[in-house]
Amino acid sequence: MDRLEKNNIVNEIRNSFLEYSMSVIVARALPDLRDGLKPVHRRILYSMYESGYTPDKPHKKSAKTVGEVMGNYHPHGDSSIYEAMVRMAQDFSYRYMLVDGHGNFGNIEGYGAAAMRYTESRLSKISLELLRNINKNTVDFAPNFDETTKEPTVLPSRFPNILVNGTMGIAVGMATNIPPHNLGEVIDGCIAYIDNPDIDVDGLMQYIKGPDFPTGATILGNSGIKKAYETGRGSITIRSKARIEEEKGKHYIIIDEVPYGINTLDLKNKVADLVHNKVIDGIADYHTDLKDGIKITITLKKDANPQVVLNNLYKHTAFQNNFGIIFLMLDQGVPKTLGLKDIISKYVDYQKAIIIRRTKFRGIKDCT
Amino acid sequence: MEEKKYDSSAIQVLEGLEAVRKRPGMYIGTTSSRGLHHLVWEIVDNAIDEALAGYCSHIEVIVGSENTITVKDDGRGIPVDIHPKTGKSTVETVYTVLHAGGKFGGGGYKVSGGLHGVGASVVNALSSWLEVRVYKDGNVYFQKYSNGGHPEGQLTVIEECSKERTGTTVVFKPDPEIFTETTVYDYEILKTRLRELAFLNKGLRISLYDEREVDKKDSFYYEGGLKEYVTMLNASKHSIHDTIIDVEGVDKDISLEVALQYNETYNSSIYSFVNNITTPEGGTHEDGVRRALTRILNKYAVSNNMLKNNDDSLTGDDVREGLTMIISIKHPNPQFEGQTKTKLGNAEVRGVADKIFSAAFERFLMEHPDEAKIIVEKGMTASRARVAAKKARELTRRKGDLDITNFYGKLSDCKSKDASESEIFLVEGDSAGGSAIKGRNSITQAILPLRGKILNVEKARLDRALSNEEIRTIITAFGTGIGDDFDLNKLRYHKIIIMTDADVDGSHIRVLLLTLFYRFFRPIVEAGHVYAAQPPLFVIKHGKTIKYVLNEQERDEYLATLAPNTKYEIARMKGLGEMDAEELNETTMDIEKRVLRQITVDDAMLADETFSKLMGEEVEPRRNFIEENAVYVENLDV
Repeated sequence: MDRLEKNNIVNEIRNSFLEYSMSVIVARALPDLRDGLKPVHRRILYSMYESGYTPDKPHKKSAKTVGEVMGNYHPHGDSSIYEAMVRMAQDFSYRYMLVDGHGNFGNIEGYGAAAMRYTESRLSKISLELLRNINKNTVDFAPNFDETTKEPTVLPSRFPNILVNGTMGIAVGMATNIPPHNLGEVIDGCIAYIDNPDIDVDGLMQYIKGPDFPTGATILGNSGIKKAYETGRGSITIRSKARIEEEKGKHYIIIDEVPYGINTLDLKNKVADLVHNKVIDGIADYHTDLKDGIKITITLKKDANPQVVLNNLYKHTAFQNNFGIIFLMLDQGVPKTLGLKDIISKYVDYQKAIIIRRTKFRGIKDCT
Repeated sequence: MEEKKYDSSAIQVLEGLEAVRKRPGMYIGTTSSRGLHHLVWEIVDNAIDEALAGYCSHIEVIVGSENTITVKDDGRGIPVDIHPKTGKSTVETVYTVLHAGGKFGGGGYKVSGGLHGVGASVVNALSSWLEVRVYKDGNVYFQKYSNGGHPEGQLTVIEECSKERTGTTVVFKPDPEIFTETTVYDYEILKTRLRELAFLNKGLRISLYDEREVDKKDSFYYEGGLKEYVTMLNASKHSIHDTIIDVEGVDKDISLEVALQYNETYNSSIYSFVNNITTPEGGTHEDGVRRALTRILNKYAVSNNMLKNNDDSLTGDDVREGLTMIISIKHPNPQFEGQTKTKLGNAEVRGVADKIFSAAFERFLMEHPDEAKIIVEKGMTASRARVAAKKARELTRRKGDLDITNFYGKLSDCKSKDASESEIFLVEGDSAGGSAIKGRNSITQAILPLRGKILNVEKARLDRALSNEEIRTIITAFGTGIGDDFDLNKLRYHKIIIMTDADVDGSHIRVLLLTLFYRFFRPIVEAGHVYAAQPPLFVIKHGKTIKYVLNEQERDEYLATLAPNTKYEIARMKGLGEMDAEELNETTMDIEKRVLRQITVDDAMLADETFSKLMGEEVEPRRNFIEENAVYVENLDV
């Protein structure tokens, strides 16, 4: 008959829940401060690098990469791997794309990428900077899930990817939402810190003015940015860039930059709703053109006041949006909400360690 | 002469205590950890009796470094005079004569918490040694017993103390010969119960110290009593009105206290107590209050035109949705019935509870129209959802055996119709559904593959849960029905076995399933029908042999049996799908070879609180829990 053990339901769910939530927190949903990557992204990039899918070689079928990542490093569903890879290749998702995709990788209207057997991909040039020197004993490697090979626990990340590309993720009991930044600005900020480690947030903001989104648009005011940089949390308002044009007595609102993270099809439907329910008056037509960047043209009725319509659009739709910044990331495996200066100083410390390890590695090689 | 008399009576007494040592189970239920903790409750109950009588304001419990227990109170102190019946000091009588506790002295106690009914002598009988100090009239009286209650000398004054200092201090060391399983006290168990006692006895301070660790202590003192209890229980839920309704009254020597507040959840959390003892099966005190609650809310709804004449009146289930309520009565002579003797049977209590509660509750509604409206509307929403759920539920009802296989093709039912031998495995479909079906014993084992993660019912009401196909399938398979029609006797499998992968997503699915069972099928869990399968954690390969082992211990034991220099590989198992059908059967499903983990409910209130905290709407309590416990995680998946 059965061998029985007993467990109180309270212990059972406490332990199971902790196992799950801690794994999601430290090994799934949050990025590492040092390279700004979650495990799935790190594994994709490393696997592509190992397989030689570099920018100097032709694109390879995405299914091939997904299979390699799944078989060697990431024992989870193929769709989660492919989706992570697709995002890294979308110009509206990543400020600096880490994967160079070929084929249909989806668009901002919310259409997904083609199936992985159709699309092709390789590392983007900037990804090589994340991986640079990885073979010079700069980072620790750990056994993979079935202990058949090893994988890096972090990438050397020769540029501060945590700030440059940002990330978002929902763990259990906590979430992260780090906006992307301009590469040049962030590097200037790091240099300023290295030159003057006592620099404060105001000083850093001379170089790093604020987030820099791949979809452009304007951040209203400075106080939300400053609060986020100081405390790790803050809320900013992003407004689309719009202009009003007149042609043959007709007014048009032209929008060519939209808040980060929105879906333009939802946006159109929302406007249609508002027009239908007579919340906004004066809109005659709505047209989206994605050919060279985003261009949304809203044709107004003759008697409409364009500024009033535009203000209403800001008020009622995602043409103006809030973005709650949460600089939550893993620092030595522990989730922490950090301000800008902490992030930069810890990143710089990490780079020092990388350089020391690389130097030692070369030294040993030279001696032998 | 005096000596001799003492001796002979001592023999007689010790025969009584010897019986306790021979059959400890009869007196304290079990000699497991639960029995070990029971010893503490016995002594603490005596102190609480002093508090109920109004003489004691502070009780201290100290876990010593060697797992001794000290219980101090500042009551009157056990009488030290010679007891007329036994011819010995009352202290010695209490500690060496069975059932003597609480009934000594002039008139004893009106109400006694000693419903465990065995008294301090049993603790003495089951201890290696026990010391009692009584502080009374400026003297400290002392007596020590050893080896199961043998007095080492008589009660004597060992020192003087301030005249103001009164009380009893007891120290004992549980006998490891009796408590063979464990003699280690669990701080959390002590803390939970002592906190409960502090809530139930407002104004009484109870402190707990653990000398096994540095600076581990808690102190509980609740001016508001049950009100603060409800606040705590609702801490991880969204309450929908601010005032906690509390009711107090006395009638026919029975005193009743009730505190309640509604929250946004869809479950009710009702806990009742009689003389500080929990009554998980309810009884007449709970019936009375529930009856009054339903009646008064309906009356209020009708008289305020919230319910129209042709509307259905609110049922008990409707008005209890989202209700957190504590009922506590003190009764001089409670009678218990039910399977576990935890259901109050005194018929007169029903009327008394109804009368006291309805008068106060009605007055509350009149005086707080805003909150009354919120509460009635909550009940009306529940009522509408109940009607919607009823329709959805029809779909889950099985009409015949063919029904289930035709309509819900995913269940591979077992051949047996005998529930007592039938089992159902709930298995992650993506992973092991196929091999489980292939490898099972199809006579007694049914397989239900689940797709992905099921809905978290902590955040969903019954009607929404029923629109979820996985949950409907589970309900149909179980055969018990749900909600109003739930009938435990119709359960088609006496073993419901959760078989998920040994990875973290498997853990998550197990939590989600347990949430479903605890919220919608609680009697199934309470009756011990729910189990977790324990698939092997490691696979060891050497030569052509593949060996699966359950845990680290078995792994090490197996490796020790291998010839030296054997080359082997060990891998941590991730998914059940890694095994083929035969292996899965051998390791995890075969009734002869498997190890099952039975899920038990020891503390319904704690379970309720835990589910709300971990699975509910509020994020803050969940994050706090994770932060407090983060270091304890053993099985991290990377």
